[in-house]
Amino acid sequence: MRHALFLGCFIPVRLPHLEAVARGVLPELGVELADIDGFSCCPESVGFATDRTTGLAIAARNISLAEEAGLDIITLCNGCTYTLKQANQILKRDAALREKINEIIAETGHSFKGTVEVRHFAQVLSQLIGLDKIRSVVKKPLTNLKVACHTGCHILSPPEAMGFDDPFDPVVLDGMVSALGATSLDWDRKTSCCGWTLTNYGEKESANRLLGAKLEAMRQAGADCSAVICPQCFYQFDTGQMLAVRELKMEYKIPTLYYLQLLALAMGRSLDEIGVRQHRVKDSALEEKLGRLIS
Amino acid sequence: MTIRALYPGSERDDRHGAAEICLKCGVCCNVANSCHVMYDRKFNPRYTFVYDCLASEKGASNQNIWLCVSCHKCEETCPYEVSPVHFIEALKGEALDCGSIHPMIRSEVSQIVSTGFAFPITGATERQRQSLKLKPLSGQAAADLSRITDKTGLASRLKEEQK
Repeated sequence: MRHALFLGCFIPVRLPHLEAVARGVLPELGVELADIDGFSCCPESVGFATDRTTGLAIAARNISLAEEAGLDIITLCNGCTYTLKQANQILKRDAALREKINEIIAETGHSFKGTVEVRHFAQVLSQLIGLDKIRSVVKKPLTNLKVACHTGCHILSPPEAMGFDDPFDPVVLDGMVSALGATSLDWDRKTSCCGWTLTNYGEKESANRLLGAKLEAMRQAGADCSAVICPQCFYQFDTGQMLAVRELKMEYKIPTLYYLQLLALAMGRSLDEIGVRQHRVKDSALEEKLGRLIS
Repeated sequence: MTIRALYPGSERDDRHGAAEICLKCGVCCNVANSCHVMYDRKFNPRYTFVYDCLASEKGASNQNIWLCVSCHKCEETCPYEVSPVHFIEALKGEALDCGSIHPMIRSEVSQIVSTGFAFPITGATERQRQSLKLKPLSGQAAADLSRITDKTGLASRLKEEQK
């Protein structure tokens, strides 16, 4: 199952250790990754809400590159998925808009045809590969690891475009975590935003309060760590948490792991190999627990 | 039957029609785990974030519109299908033309248009990638993005907005 790997911006620029993990583990599950020269930012949806036509044109150009290679797109980021999936759906359905956008991108030498699909890696794993296949590659079950799953916002809504999970009761990531032998927790505030946008464009105090409420809910549920599938959520729960705990005077910390890092651990990779040394929030108790599980 | 409840003093064109069927019930911002912006103390159950955006006389220059991340949770919870997210996104589009775009958004859009990436690629980034045996990042999309933004007029709108 060969896919065009759409890296986006956040992971290759700010969190390249997550790219390394993705490139390492996905092929072992039968997801062959092809690099396509020339992909740009998806583009980021909050910024390009200021000019939807340009946003659609940039997304159409990205999708057309995968079409020229005859490959569906696999993403590593909720935001990229949101932008590309919606653009793909809109342009496939609306012939007049497709024609207008193709006129705009014609000078780049590309043309959107509507021949490929866009999927987040969590969709590829849960819908195409299947949980049984995930279970089959687990060498070190993450038994008794208590995980608070945070699916994030943009892979869930609008659900008719994203086609992943229920926006107010998401369970797919929980199933993927359980397939690794870990325990997925039921916790309050599971579906509230990570607060990335509040941090960047609003008041950091508000973002800290939101993050603090989520972390407290995770603590009350007994979480060893959280699991995410989006780099912005990862950054907020990692670097954002490091900054928030100072202001909130929190006396605990809850590390976060990108799902593919948990998968890699269960497949037998070491903590160093999944890049936990790059994380801002570290917890020796979690590392000891994981160390025992994967030894 | 569609119940129409115009906001006093608010004249909206067709793009904002959704705002005019909003009953200010507050469900969009007060259902548990819905609007994350309600963590900002400016808003409360009687004066919600969505009401702030919909009722503002000069919506496009209301800096609070940039707090919306287009998560669509308001759309999912709204009992009247108002879809505030589309209304707020339309205001963001107007903001670029009236010179009230959030400076970080302007910077991000300009960064994407000129380099193809939302973040600057530094030497440290490339060294980290090299240590992980990852390929260097390519800026080869930038020329195409320049062609696209010339064609759509975004390039000149950004230049005009910066004046």
